[in-house]
Amino acid sequence: MPEPSASADQVRPAVYERRSTAELIPQIAAAVGESFLDASSEQDMDELALRPDGLKAAVAALRAAGFGLLLDIGVTDHSPLAPRFEVSYHFLKMAAGSRAGDRTDVSPARFRLRVFPDDANPRVPSLTGSWPNADWPEREAYDLFGIQFDGHPNLRRILMPEDWQGYPLRKDYPLRGFDRRFVPGGRLGAVPPLKES
Amino acid sequence: MSTPADVFASSPDVTLAPADERDTLVLSMGPQHPSTHGVLQVMLRLDGETVLAAEPEIGYLHTGIEKQAENLMWQQAVTVVDRADYLAPLSNSLCYVLAAERLLGITDRIPLRANVLRVMFAELTRIASHLVWLGTHAMDLGAQSIFMYAFEMRERILEIMEFVTGARMHQSWFRIGGLAIDVPAGFLEKIGALLDAFPERLRDMRAILEENIIIKDRLIGVGKLSAEESIAWGLTGPALRAAGVRYDVRKAFPYSGYETYDFDVPTHAGGDCYARFVVRLNEMHEAWRIIKQAAEKFPGGPVVIDDRKIVPPPKTEIQHSMEALIHHFKLVSAGFNVPEGHVYQAVESPRGELGLYVTSAGGNKPWRVRWRPASFYNLQALKRMAPGNLIADVVAIIGSLDPVFGEVDR
Repeated sequence: MPEPSASADQVRPAVYERRSTAELIPQIAAAVGESFLDASSEQDMDELALRPDGLKAAVAALRAAGFGLLLDIGVTDHSPLAPRFEVSYHFLKMAAGSRAGDRTDVSPARFRLRVFPDDANPRVPSLTGSWPNADWPEREAYDLFGIQFDGHPNLRRILMPEDWQGYPLRKDYPLRGFDRRFVPGGRLGAVPPLKES
Repeated sequence: MSTPADVFASSPDVTLAPADERDTLVLSMGPQHPSTHGVLQVMLRLDGETVLAAEPEIGYLHTGIEKQAENLMWQQAVTVVDRADYLAPLSNSLCYVLAAERLLGITDRIPLRANVLRVMFAELTRIASHLVWLGTHAMDLGAQSIFMYAFEMRERILEIMEFVTGARMHQSWFRIGGLAIDVPAGFLEKIGALLDAFPERLRDMRAILEENIIIKDRLIGVGKLSAEESIAWGLTGPALRAAGVRYDVRKAFPYSGYETYDFDVPTHAGGDCYARFVVRLNEMHEAWRIIKQAAEKFPGGPVVIDDRKIVPPPKTEIQHSMEALIHHFKLVSAGFNVPEGHVYQAVESPRGELGLYVTSAGGNKPWRVRWRPASFYNLQALKRMAPGNLIADVVAIIGSLDPVFGEVDR
């Protein structure tokens, strides 16, 4: 059996209970004001739905409550339902004891913000100013769904080629793409989708 | 096309700007560079050999896995999610089936034997993945022989995978409701032999590398990131723990019964490439401990839930029962519906927090499967880690972040 190296800290945290973050919901709801849409406690975490103009305030309230790690920014296309686009933000609060020397008992928690931008012109404020890791996921959301992030310093395609047309993960974009044969006078978006095999 | 100015538009502020802008050189490293393992391009702005700014260009391996998952039935989609992080396929499918099970509300009904085997194979996957990292990372740094040591050990793990699931990679063995098949007779002996052999081999590899003066010279102080910045850049997994932050999904949000195992979360205060190196070596040892405990407790019983609306009946039953045949036909042709809802499920993959945000619209296909790819976020931090280092250090930093491009690009 190999010796664990001296750097492997032997202190084991206890098993954490899922701590409710329900007390946060009224705080964030107050911070976002008019933009508030809905709030609920789901089986995985508490969440709050809002319109884009309240995002910055909600994020500031979350950061003040200790949610320091932006886990993910994702998009879901709910069409034909309206509002169509949901931009989901997952935040993580780590246990206070996760830093060396700090042994206070705070359970880790996650929190989700669901932002519903306008269908015709989906725009959301960018978080790149306060979270550097928002850069790539916002570019991906723009690349695959066409969501615009106001204030992003470099909003260009990230996964698809730079000259790609359309937003592939939207529900109205066919699985196998569009027929890319040359059609005189036609544009790529106007040609029929490839048939499913 | 993007001009170099566009490429670096969102790179962190350069504090090392040379006296004259004309002295800088923009160099494209990859996507054919051997240390980028095939599909990563890094745009570097250089002052001599010093990196001023680095911007990874990704997407070369984009295969639309998220889109494909939306177009397959719930059970079928296990096969494509396996293919995202191709070095740790079982971590992907574990995350996906856990998310689907939570939406179905059957998480508590998964048999104990299935959970123990899931943990066991997730940890085997972790060791196999870390061995690939160790071999290739050491090779990037010039230590050629360790690659064979690591891959020989990995081969033994993949042999067990093949013995149990029929496939070396992309096993698709975890299914919604449990496992595809039970383990064959003789499984515990094979695991026992592996558990006996592994510590010595790990000790050998550590003896060669851990105190090696060349390895230390190449890694210590390179790609340093403080705990605060690691959190700000969204690092998870070994990269975050190497900065001294003890966050592990298996401890913070346990799943599949991880709370019943006795294991430590290795951390390191260094925050540099060497810290990540040591943390991963220690993690292999912890994974070995978990597998050992799983093999000791190894309970009997079924490996899937007894619910004919989700899991097809066994073949013997189909041959005798009309109802079983109907269930089988229904599941194969139309699958099952999952109640409306959305759930975020995360597992500790070898690279960090792998999260899936799965939305169901009530149909027999997932409405949306959003990845939270750990290596996507870890790799993004290269922008912050590389400036100030030399070109040769960029190779070490990429290796220490252990990105897998199947997962970065999906």
